[in-house]
Amino acid sequence: MTPVIDDPRLDAAFTALADPTRRAIVARLARGDATVTELAEPFEISLPGVSKHLKVLERSGLISRTRHAQFRPCHLEPGPLTAALDWIEDSRRVWAERFDKLDAHLEHLQRTSTTPTETKDVPR
Amino acid sequence: MTQHPAAPGTATYTRVFRAPRELVFRCMLEPEHLTHFWGPAGMSTPLDGITVDARPGGVFSTVMVADDGSGSYTMRAVYDEIVAPERIVWTEVASGVRSVSTFVDLGEQGTEVTIEQHDVPAAFLTPEARSGFLTSLDRFEAHLRTQLETWSA
Repeated sequence: MTPVIDDPRLDAAFTALADPTRRAIVARLARGDATVTELAEPFEISLPGVSKHLKVLERSGLISRTRHAQFRPCHLEPGPLTAALDWIEDSRRVWAERFDKLDAHLEHLQRTSTTPTETKDVPR
Repeated sequence: MTQHPAAPGTATYTRVFRAPRELVFRCMLEPEHLTHFWGPAGMSTPLDGITVDARPGGVFSTVMVADDGSGSYTMRAVYDEIVAPERIVWTEVASGVRSVSTFVDLGEQGTEVTIEQHDVPAAFLTPEARSGFLTSLDRFEAHLRTQLETWSA
């Protein structure tokens, strides 16, 4: 488990990933760097529309863009994304596993204790 | 465990336990019980690392230790509300995430425990988050990790 619950990058990463278009852009960039034009191709939105999404992604730290090159290809920065994914996965898994253990603990308590406290209605 | 749509702003985990409500409630509040289940798989929660000051404003903290010795994780929270045997609310200090545990007596069937997490990071709270965000990100994560392996190879 990698608890990252207090990671300051998470809020921005979560906000950025709430949008399906931005998730699709991130998924595309996972396959390699791409220009704005290339990124806009699969979507029925304008170049300025895609640019807006890219600005949100850039602010969140999820992507970076080359400052100098004419076409400014976008590059995925996996750090914040990994942190966000870890948070989601951890939270879900921790409670599932905790519940599994609690289930076993309760069963053990009720099997071993002849006078369980306040358990006169224990289902057998 | 199920994750069903809840009020906006919450992530919810529910499970029914075959045990009376009073006992389940005490398990979630007493260190002697918490030590048996608080750590997820591969982690334990030693009794001497658990602090429970069971009153509003009281401290709730745990130290979860990895069974393989790779490290430990301290959770610090403050109780907001304790209503025996039906409700416990605490807020984690570092993240601000508020967890509301409710215990419903189902009679013969046992006790339904629901954990609602409030004030979790923004995207987790959208309607989309509640209907498939987790699943799609799980798939996406698998894909991404494959890509990352390819890059570093």
